[in-house]
Amino acid sequence: MDAKALSRHRVRRWTALLTTGFVALAGLTACSSADGGETAAGGAPADGQVEIDFWGWVPGLEDLVETWNAENPDIQVSFHRMTGDDGQKVEAAVDAGTGPDLVQLSTHDLPDYVINGRVQDITEYVAEHESNYTAQSWASVSFDGRVYGVPQGIGPSGMMYRTDILEEHGIPVPTTWDEYLEAARALQAADPDVYIANLSPGEIGQWVQEVQQAEGSWFGIDSDAWTVGINDEASKLVAERWQTLLDEDLVTTELMWTPEYWARVNAGDIATISYAAWFPTALAENAADTSGDWRVAAMPTNAGSDNQGDSGGAAVVVLDGAESAAAAAEFASWLNGSDETQEALITEGGLFPSTVNGLDSPALVEEQEFFGGQAINEVFIESAENTPATWTEGPNWGTAQTAVLDEFAEVVGGSQTFAEALDNAQAATVADLEARGLTVNE
Amino acid sequence: MAVQTPPSAVRRRVLGGGRWIPYAFVTPFVLVFLTFMLAPIVIALVNGLYSSQSSGLGFGGAETVFVGLRNYTRAFADADFLVSFGRVALYGLVQVPVMMVIAAVMALLFDSALVRARRFFQFAVFLPYAVPGVIAALLWGFFYQPSVSPLVQGLRAIDIDTDLLAPGTVLWSVANVSIWSNAGINMIILFSALQSLPRDTFEAARLDGAGELRIALNLKLPMIAPAVLLTTLSTVIGTLQLFNEPQVLQSITPNISSDWTPNMAIYAVSTLGRDPHLGSAMAVILGLVTLVVSLVLVRFTNSSSRGGAR
Repeated sequence: MDAKALSRHRVRRWTALLTTGFVALAGLTACSSADGGETAAGGAPADGQVEIDFWGWVPGLEDLVETWNAENPDIQVSFHRMTGDDGQKVEAAVDAGTGPDLVQLSTHDLPDYVINGRVQDITEYVAEHESNYTAQSWASVSFDGRVYGVPQGIGPSGMMYRTDILEEHGIPVPTTWDEYLEAARALQAADPDVYIANLSPGEIGQWVQEVQQAEGSWFGIDSDAWTVGINDEASKLVAERWQTLLDEDLVTTELMWTPEYWARVNAGDIATISYAAWFPTALAENAADTSGDWRVAAMPTNAGSDNQGDSGGAAVVVLDGAESAAAAAEFASWLNGSDETQEALITEGGLFPSTVNGLDSPALVEEQEFFGGQAINEVFIESAENTPATWTEGPNWGTAQTAVLDEFAEVVGGSQTFAEALDNAQAATVADLEARGLTVNE
Repeated sequence: MAVQTPPSAVRRRVLGGGRWIPYAFVTPFVLVFLTFMLAPIVIALVNGLYSSQSSGLGFGGAETVFVGLRNYTRAFADADFLVSFGRVALYGLVQVPVMMVIAAVMALLFDSALVRARRFFQFAVFLPYAVPGVIAALLWGFFYQPSVSPLVQGLRAIDIDTDLLAPGTVLWSVANVSIWSNAGINMIILFSALQSLPRDTFEAARLDGAGELRIALNLKLPMIAPAVLLTTLSTVIGTLQLFNEPQVLQSITPNISSDWTPNMAIYAVSTLGRDPHLGSAMAVILGLVTLVVSLVLVRFTNSSSRGGAR
């Protein structure tokens, strides 16, 4: 297990040193590094054709890559579908020089990649496309005026709700968080088996979207220093809300995505789910029997504000070590931004577009049977327009997320409050930034 | 016609110039040992003394600098990391004796004439060991989740409301998976030790009027003490290294934090927290603790068995 604790990058380097001269072992290392290095080792064929290795997770990318390859004999893309912990392998692969050329990445993780030099500056290749992207998505891939990726979808919030359950008990669809609390109480009083929501202590996106709705941000930049706002005023507002719902036993606390969670959704124990625009696809897949019972409305709002939130988007980035950055960036721009690909990304990929032509695509406002024929993306389009541009991504997302979720588990377990949890996570995140040598303004 | 060389001549010729032969035979082992055992330890030690440092906002890049023992002071200042040692200690205090008693009782039963269909039951007890740890945890995960578990629903039907994943119970649910997986292999080791014992001793004891229970506890068990020590030691080390089962169950319960065991903490710091240097220092600490616990256990058993002989 010790080896796990080491960066593979160093292991490789040291292994290489130790085994120099030992033919047998040199053979072994060559074998192990062949994984993913196939195209890199192959190099560019003599006729000037370029090969691009691309890792991604969006459904249906295989078909789009095929279309591109047929149209662009000079730039051939090979696609690898990311599953399991592939996301965590990317860094090690880049450091070992065996990484892919292009990878899909959560924008939450991008600053860390930029700081550690694992992505390439592609400003010169993609700047011309800026006008086709929403301002906020473009900002999420830009640091210090340089562009490090092509945005691929965002996650504006909405509230999926069981229209049959609310109607049965005569409860109106809540539009503000105050009404939401009233609805929660009324629902429990009417039927003790039914809860207004599930508070998953493992789902950071649901938390982030409400923090953003309240105009908070985990990170910020104050001249030449980072600020950390995990326990800022906005977060405290969200904390207070869920503390009340939790204390009054108005919510379930299952981990999202578990069999237990879906069993309760299917059983009709949970009346509303507030989450991103890509969630309805997952809901339709995992709760097929409840088809027709769901509708989508805007996420409840805070008093005196129309703000919605966003749980985070993705981007396609050119990794360090990619030899043909220009070709890779050209493919990424086509994949995420061309008129040709928008419909497939929306209908098959389940993406909510961060592009202007995607937002104009008729595919976006198709009616959905699972939601009783509602054109649900109309809600998410409005949500994206009402999302405040206050959120800033920070340099140690992984540490911050782990700290917050570990603390939330103790809140749900009853051993501390959300306010305490936020203070603890704040301290852990600041300490981690300082240990990295970064400047933090407290 | 070619004259065939007599076999003895071949042997003499090879042996004569072949002092290197033994070395040739051990070389593959030594190389693999150096590369996969010694080198990782050395790398962990070296890595633990460095840290990746940026400045300002960090967009200027990062460099690796020597920081001495700072990673170690950070590890020791991390309360959750220290608590994780306490957690596996508590876990081990219960899990190790339970596992050893189950394995020993089963081995003694199989060794006695009391069990019918012995081959079948031995196979049945051993089978879980053939199931990979991750799969075992996934399987049990289904038994632990109320809505999909026949176990929990059955208990509810007779009015026993249990939550096997609650903060207070989840530790023992993890222990259950590990006992289910590993009791079989420990049983087999103890059983083979029992099988190699001379039967006439037991015959003599029986003639002297000793019952099967007396023979099992006073004769057989002391005679297989080395095998008991071996299995106990590997169980204790397994406890300190606990990772697979809780890491898998973490996906179905919030009551297992990312740094629930020392190994999970190391994984979280190096993978999720992206600080392999701190992770290395923590791994070295875990390695040292394991070494000390093993030495203490061996010393303790040696002195107590010597005391018993006296």
